[in-house]
Amino acid sequence: MITFDGTYFDGKSSRAHPVTIRADETRLIIAGAGSDLSLGIPLRDCVIQPPLGKTSRVITLPEGAQCETDDFEAIAALEQRTGRNAGLRLVHVLESRWKMAALSFAGLVVCVWVFMTFGIPFLAKKAAYAIPPAVAENLSEQTMKILDSRFLRPSKLPQRRARTLQARFKKLHENIDGKQKYWLEFRKSPALGPNAFALPSGLIIMTDELVNLSESTRELEGVFVHEIAHVRHRHGMRSVIQNAGVFLLIAAVVGDITSITSAAGSLPTLLAQSGYSRDFEREADDTVAAYFSGRGWSTKPYQNILRRITKNMANFPGESLLSSHPLTDERIRYLREREKAVK
Amino acid sequence: MEPDRFPQGGDSRRVGAQPPTRTGTQSAAEPKHYKPMFNGSAGEYFRIWIVNTFLTIVTLGIYAPWAKVRNRRYFYKNTLLDGHSFDYTANPVAILKGYLIIGAGVLLYYLTEAYDPRFSFIFVLLFYLMLPFLIYKSLRFFARNSTYRNIRFRFLGTLGSSFSTYLLYPILVPITLGLIIPHWAFEKKKFFFDNMAYGASRNSFHGRSGPFYKVYLLAVLTLFGSFFLGGIAVAIALRGMVDTLGNEGMRSFALMSVIVMYFVMLIVMTFFQQYIFAWETNYSWGQSRLDTVRFKSTLKATKLIWIRITNILAIIFSLGLLAPWARVRRTRYVLDNLTIISAQSLDDFTSAVEPDVGAYGDAATDLFDFEIGL
Repeated sequence: MITFDGTYFDGKSSRAHPVTIRADETRLIIAGAGSDLSLGIPLRDCVIQPPLGKTSRVITLPEGAQCETDDFEAIAALEQRTGRNAGLRLVHVLESRWKMAALSFAGLVVCVWVFMTFGIPFLAKKAAYAIPPAVAENLSEQTMKILDSRFLRPSKLPQRRARTLQARFKKLHENIDGKQKYWLEFRKSPALGPNAFALPSGLIIMTDELVNLSESTRELEGVFVHEIAHVRHRHGMRSVIQNAGVFLLIAAVVGDITSITSAAGSLPTLLAQSGYSRDFEREADDTVAAYFSGRGWSTKPYQNILRRITKNMANFPGESLLSSHPLTDERIRYLREREKAVK
Repeated sequence: MEPDRFPQGGDSRRVGAQPPTRTGTQSAAEPKHYKPMFNGSAGEYFRIWIVNTFLTIVTLGIYAPWAKVRNRRYFYKNTLLDGHSFDYTANPVAILKGYLIIGAGVLLYYLTEAYDPRFSFIFVLLFYLMLPFLIYKSLRFFARNSTYRNIRFRFLGTLGSSFSTYLLYPILVPITLGLIIPHWAFEKKKFFFDNMAYGASRNSFHGRSGPFYKVYLLAVLTLFGSFFLGGIAVAIALRGMVDTLGNEGMRSFALMSVIVMYFVMLIVMTFFQQYIFAWETNYSWGQSRLDTVRFKSTLKATKLIWIRITNILAIIFSLGLLAPWARVRRTRYVLDNLTIISAQSLDDFTSAVEPDVGAYGDAATDLFDFEIGL
């Protein structure tokens, strides 16, 4: 027999009735203190609300009535007997101890780290390969429209030079990846300067400025392989998905404080993004290194042009011009990170 | 922090043991003043918050509705009025269903946007058309699951007035060159305060839009005034700097002043928001009647501004760990400044007659956070 004091609310009026409650094997017997209130309710019709902090415990009764009590031990004994709330009772035990809170914090940090380094990149890769080619093509088309209207002008390269480079490019992509469609186009771009980037559809854009900056075709071949690797490993789509994933993760962690999410959430997002793009650049540069050494070529020319691009880039305020479009922004960041990786 | 371990029954905070703070005598005609009391502690809430956040992450978000209910219920159960606590009774499974529906919508949005950005326009349009409906559902869900002394609150606003408040007025804002904004703010308060009911007793809101115009005008003038003065100060500083610094120095100075301006903007906007919030909350409670019950809210803008700014700084510098402390602190201040003035006993409220409870929609829309101070 468990006996405890409490307050009874009938759910019809806001009046509080002080009561004494006894629980036997099957029933809850509620008797008014100083009134003729007397109820017997089968235990299976009672719902004990989960414990929370040091707040009073609530038992929901049939027909909208309820009992409240501060006798935590009695309710704990009653819960033990009925086996109710097992899950949230455990949560309550965790919440009640500083040691568990500290462990939760450590667990949280580990989880976020694991998701950021393994979970999100893994899932993004799966998703990127599952996305139909039509979506990638559409996305690339839209991006090109924006780039062409804002930052790119028609190429002024001599026809012969362009055709020679395109022939070299064809040979390279056939050697590396025969299945996917790739094609190379040139654009003049005072805004971007010497630059090259790949779109998920397999279109690779190289600026006239970059061609003019190069001192040998081998240098440009290094850039071709790098961009082909980006397309082949779907880096474009993967980075878009990963950034969305990181945003979701941070929203989940700090979901409680929406007003500061933007300020506090943007820093880790930025850090994670630059971490991811560094990984992609490394993967693309790995392909260059593997392909070149497989042919017995030195990667020296490739390194040289990267260094030259970096030097040249300093004169172009790329980010401020491009920040209106996140995709191009990402492209620019890739290139910057690659430069760092090689240095 | 003190070791507040569970169980620890029979302590001083017995339900019903606290007498209401009262001014005046016990006579029936003399209204009593009741002050809500917040019993939560930052340390205890921190533990609840961190454990539930961890569980949310480790279950890949499935636990999020349970976390949400526990977080909110902690604030409700620790808010005591006349010795009895409020309670939040939402069913986490219902909230989970709502999340899944919203999540599917967001996923669809991203997919169509990736396929063709032109479609996303249609989605945004659809969202704005849906918004009044979602707000209406959220308010009903929020009210229905809030209880005090086992009597449920209710939201009695209609879908039609939700559409006029949250679709018509936003459309009118550009047409009227923003002049309708104070009236819109009034309509939002009216929509909330005039439609809330505690059991069978419906709250009524007696405010007018005139005072909103006065306050918004004052706030906007102050805002422009401070920007104007700030601009002059920067201009004077620049003139002085041009002579003393070279070109290189100017570049870093320009960068610095952009950063400074950004923070000034942030602080000025906080001033603006908190000033409006303090006034609107005080005014809305002051103009509310629940049967014979009146309310008084005495929030001070200066104090709210101080709390907000120090809270943001504390959260940023603690990498989010002080967020629970910040929330407890603000809640305590808002509740400490609310007084319920009632000539009738708080024992005499009754629940609504119609049985709309329980049978109501299953998938909850719990998108919007409504607080007591709203």
